[in-house]
Amino acid sequence: MNNNKLLIINGPGLSDLSNLNEMGYGHLTLDMVRKKCAETCEIFGIKMDFRQTDDETELSRFLIEGIEDFDALIINPVGYSHAPSIDFAIYSSAIKMITQQNKPVIEVHISNIFQQDVENTKPIQVPGGEVGFVSGLGIHSYDLAIRAVNKKLSKN
Amino acid sequence: MNIYVINGPNINLLGTREPEIYGKETLKSISKKCIKQGLRDGHDVKFMQSNYEGEIVGWIQNAIIEKVDAIVINAAAYTHTSIAIHDALKSYSGFKIELHISNPHLRETFRHVSYISSVVDAIVAGLGADGYSHVIELLADLQKHYKQKNKSLNTF
Repeated sequence: MNNNKLLIINGPGLSDLSNLNEMGYGHLTLDMVRKKCAETCEIFGIKMDFRQTDDETELSRFLIEGIEDFDALIINPVGYSHAPSIDFAIYSSAIKMITQQNKPVIEVHISNIFQQDVENTKPIQVPGGEVGFVSGLGIHSYDLAIRAVNKKLSKN
Repeated sequence: MNIYVINGPNINLLGTREPEIYGKETLKSISKKCIKQGLRDGHDVKFMQSNYEGEIVGWIQNAIIEKVDAIVINAAAYTHTSIAIHDALKSYSGFKIELHISNPHLRETFRHVSYISSVVDAIVAGLGADGYSHVIELLADLQKHYKQKNKSLNTF
């Protein structure tokens, strides 16, 4: 398989997952998430690049790399939609470009972002784009997304 | 595990209804795949579909009585209207996943509201018909995660 380069982007704040412990997702660290993703990618022969940044400008650069150098994108954008300083257009236009290249894009969240005790996070808005969405499965949100990416890549 | 896969209105038209959104796979084919995947993993999967809200509520109540381990529910259009399904799901204490073939958040604004998301453990959307088999495939792992989640929640 040649088209097997997957970019996984973790947005601002995800370097510290301790707040999720309080919500009942167990003791999770981003390194545990990375290891689990690496294991699943290895099963399917996917080349994974797992990144995290707290810097929105860097995140935009990652997305542009996603357009140019990768075959699929999984993104945990955290609370991008309620952070006032962020230009939503960067997310939606970059992600739309990736989907237009017929590359799978899946938004993941560790917690269920619609439950009342979760901060007001909203799903990414990419009108007309094809973006998968997995929220609330803990570390398995990534696992399920990788399986879905693999299935889509093998169909392309 | 005993699993109910509950499907709402118009899902019986899969394959012919707006295939550009919902794909070409029929409900019968999805149902067969889910049951087969379940058998492989030792699950008893009951796959059902109804165009009637009350019948769906009845099935959820039945899942409570029968102590079913997990519900995967694609409530389709009732997602955006049904307080009755919300209430029934709230009363069901097993593991519950809301599933959609397309991603409702990228479609008409009337699909952006879900009465179900806040009362389920997780949401999986926009992965096409494959979303069903991906969820069934991971259900055993997911249930473990859910038990862990509740265990740690109970310690507060």
